[in-house]
Amino acid sequence: MADKPSDLVQGTLDMLILKTLALEPMHGYGIAVRLEQMSKGVFRLNAGSLFVAFHRLQRDGLIRSEWKATENSRRAKYYVLTDHGRKRLNSETREWGRQVAAIARILETS
Amino acid sequence: MSVLRNISSGLRSLFRKEQVSQELDEELNGFLEMAAKEKMKQGMSRIDALRAVRLERGNLEVTKEVVRAAGWESFVETLWQDLRHGQRVLCKSPGFAAVAVITLALGIGATTAIFSVVNAVLLRPLAMEEPAHVVFVQETWQGIFPGLSVGNFADLKRESTSFAELCASNNASFNLEARELPERVDGEIATPNYFTTFGVQPIAGRVFTAEEDKPGQARVVVISERLWRTRLHGDPSIVGQLIRINGLPTTVVGIMPRSFDPLLSNSNLWVPAAYTAEQLADHDSHYLNVMARLKPGTSQGQAQSELNVIARRLQQQYPMDNQDRGFRLQPLTTALLGDQRLSLRMMLAAVGVLLLIACANIANLQLARSRTRQKEIALRAALGASPNRIVRQLLAENLVLGIAGGVVGVFLAYWAVAWIIAHGPGEIPRLDQSRIDAGTLAFGCAVALLSGFLFGLAPALRSASTRLSEVFKSSTGISGGSRDRVRSLLVVGEVSLALILMAGAGLLIRSALLVSHLDPGFDAANVVVGRVGLPDPGYHDPAVARQTFERMTTAAATLPGVESVAVVSRAPLAGGGSSNGLLAEGKALDPGNLVNSQLQIISPNYLSTARVPLKAGRDFAPQDTRDHTLVTIVNETLARTMWPGENPIGKRFACCESGPKGHMDPVWHEVVGMVADVRAWGLDRQVQPEFYMPLAQMPPSAWDWIGRTMDLVVRTRGGVIPIHELQSTVASVAPAVPIYRLSTMQQKISSTLERSHFDTFLLAIFATTALLLSSVGIYGVLSYMVAQRTRDIGIRMALGASQAQIVCDVLGFGVRLAGIGLAIGLLAALAATRLLSSLLYGVRPTDAVTFAAVSLILLVVALIASYLPARRATRVDPIVALRYE
Repeated sequence: MADKPSDLVQGTLDMLILKTLALEPMHGYGIAVRLEQMSKGVFRLNAGSLFVAFHRLQRDGLIRSEWKATENSRRAKYYVLTDHGRKRLNSETREWGRQVAAIARILETS
Repeated sequence: MSVLRNISSGLRSLFRKEQVSQELDEELNGFLEMAAKEKMKQGMSRIDALRAVRLERGNLEVTKEVVRAAGWESFVETLWQDLRHGQRVLCKSPGFAAVAVITLALGIGATTAIFSVVNAVLLRPLAMEEPAHVVFVQETWQGIFPGLSVGNFADLKRESTSFAELCASNNASFNLEARELPERVDGEIATPNYFTTFGVQPIAGRVFTAEEDKPGQARVVVISERLWRTRLHGDPSIVGQLIRINGLPTTVVGIMPRSFDPLLSNSNLWVPAAYTAEQLADHDSHYLNVMARLKPGTSQGQAQSELNVIARRLQQQYPMDNQDRGFRLQPLTTALLGDQRLSLRMMLAAVGVLLLIACANIANLQLARSRTRQKEIALRAALGASPNRIVRQLLAENLVLGIAGGVVGVFLAYWAVAWIIAHGPGEIPRLDQSRIDAGTLAFGCAVALLSGFLFGLAPALRSASTRLSEVFKSSTGISGGSRDRVRSLLVVGEVSLALILMAGAGLLIRSALLVSHLDPGFDAANVVVGRVGLPDPGYHDPAVARQTFERMTTAAATLPGVESVAVVSRAPLAGGGSSNGLLAEGKALDPGNLVNSQLQIISPNYLSTARVPLKAGRDFAPQDTRDHTLVTIVNETLARTMWPGENPIGKRFACCESGPKGHMDPVWHEVVGMVADVRAWGLDRQVQPEFYMPLAQMPPSAWDWIGRTMDLVVRTRGGVIPIHELQSTVASVAPAVPIYRLSTMQQKISSTLERSHFDTFLLAIFATTALLLSSVGIYGVLSYMVAQRTRDIGIRMALGASQAQIVCDVLGFGVRLAGIGLAIGLLAALAATRLLSSLLYGVRPTDAVTFAAVSLILLVVALIASYLPARRATRVDPIVALRYE
């Protein structure tokens, strides 16, 4: 499953990134690691899809970025969820829940 | 919000490329470092850790490319790169670039120039409020479309409900005396709502009031800004002042803006119509221009049906005057500019064809080049360029060509438009307003880009689809069959397009030659013509008017170098005229039996002065006065129409006035002579039935029909034209009366032909250019073919083929291409030239002589174009050829 996430529906990766950033601002590598931890290793993210997603989310105004020092005092670009992004995360989470529930119902009945 | 952010962020990446790229580098390097550190904690060496990260996360260089390509700005950037690359490639082959740019500039320049003319004349809205709602009303009668009679106009105005405004005017010219010499000025006699119909306000003063539009009121005039600025020196206090028009003091009440010329007739002044009760009851004189503004929500169709109903009622009410008479509505734009459409569209189609040929030529050159560039392209593909990117890059190269051609073309168009304005026929309305403006520039740019795309796409797709293995395999370089087929097809297309243009130009040239050899019906050499209009107030009495003209001719005849002088109500080719319905003796008094015929009122010596040949009977004599039998002379066409196969001399017809017993009492005129047809309306126009009436026998009311205006016809003994002497003679007989439109008959004839000569000239230029371009096409394909087949030719010659055989082969191929193109072109031309039929005189649109001639010219040119490559083929040295590559 290592490369699969890039095949996911585009919005899915975006939503997961937003969710990760909902807790605290993080740099790119941190986001990747966090996603892998939370998915218990199901997702392994390719750097290409990850950074394109950052680029896209920034252009859409859902996240913004700032340069800060890491805990190891390196300079890294931190991504921060904007208000707009937070709203989008909420609505997308709801929508996702609805769809998953619906799909699950269909799969159970047939 | 998000769009704005997107644009600003994109612009930042474009213009602060370094910084953005550096940030991305730093971020990705950080990512790599952190991931590697993690691995190293698990005990890997740094090198192993970095490799493991790359395996897991993908190559970071690729990631950079992917991120960079994610935004719109990357498209702009690659486009820019492609354009710059294209420009560099073109600079490396300046010969090709120059040929392509010149070819393209010719096409784009011609197209843009003609488009700016079409734009100025046809497309630009008329200078009035909502011109789409303004319609032009005419009567319909026996297939012709006369103006309205005042009576019909008044009835229409009273009864129709479809129009917000309905106004009328008729063109007239006036003797204007303002400060300097008297001058003749064109203007209109208009109803007071004329100005509100078009929704245009005066720039100073006011327009007429309804009160001023009544007979016998104080005289007022509205003048044009043009007249005000030129003749009246822009006098700011002119409104309210008196100027003398037709000898009478008249108050200037307003000035209309320069752009106001709703009927495109160069009107310089307007006076109120003030129709008298007598005029309002007249349903028989059809001369009014009637314009109307449709009520909001009323369609032209609805208005037309209403007019049909009113027309039927008028037919019943005035059976004598209105039998078979209907009304016709047209958008004003169509009525004014409809005549221009055909020839302007023809020009636009012609330049479009020219542009297509130019594009085909460049496509051909590009295809040839793409073969020599195959390896370059294959190499790029091998290095990972996608077919998409290659197509884009090749297209960008063509775009550069298109832009360069467009820039040069627009300069050409500037020059061409100036030339057209300077040399174009004066009769095309608004031609002088043609210019290269934002609209035409946009058109030119669009044409340039489109053509760049058009001629670039085929070669680009072809190159991109090239399979690599083939390119590297076929280093001996023959093959390429299908590509040659495309090139041959392009040449065939060029030839057939060129033939269409040549056929059109050929037909017009043949028609112009025929017209120039036509006999005008009189001796036009050494004849000078000028118009004289006597003002109504001083010359109201018919006897005074007639004597004034008689004294004028007598005085002018004594001038040195003058052989004889006569007057005629309308000299040939002077335009305009009045027509009458004639009833042959013996026919029932029914409008259906009337023959419509032009009337010429002449002094007795006119026919001998103009040298119109007398075919039968006698000329007018001084004793033909109103005390004697009313006599007339007819032209051959009228004699043929009225009394087919009979001798017209001694026959009688009724016309022009009614006898003492009232409206239905005919007045008979006896035919005493028959003269040759005079082509009075232009050499290339149909001759109309025409009859002549002696000045001394004209009905008194006829002075009003002709506006007391006659043409002085002066036959000189050659040599200098006595213009000043004529002017002072006229002024000595009738003070303050100018003689105007003074020119020789030859000048009048050539000015009526100006238009068709201009069209012919332009089309001939286009056709010649098309022929040259397509011969360049043939030459290009054949030279290329010879170059490609050097080896084949060498082998054949080594095997004993003679030079003649080789020449025959190459020539044969060229002629075959031309022949196929010719056949297709002939078929297309047969269909296309039908559209020209109304511009042709005496030539059918399928004229075999013309078609044979242009085909022959084309074949000869094709042979010449093929001969040069053929000769080169015979110079192939078999040894060298076999060693080649």
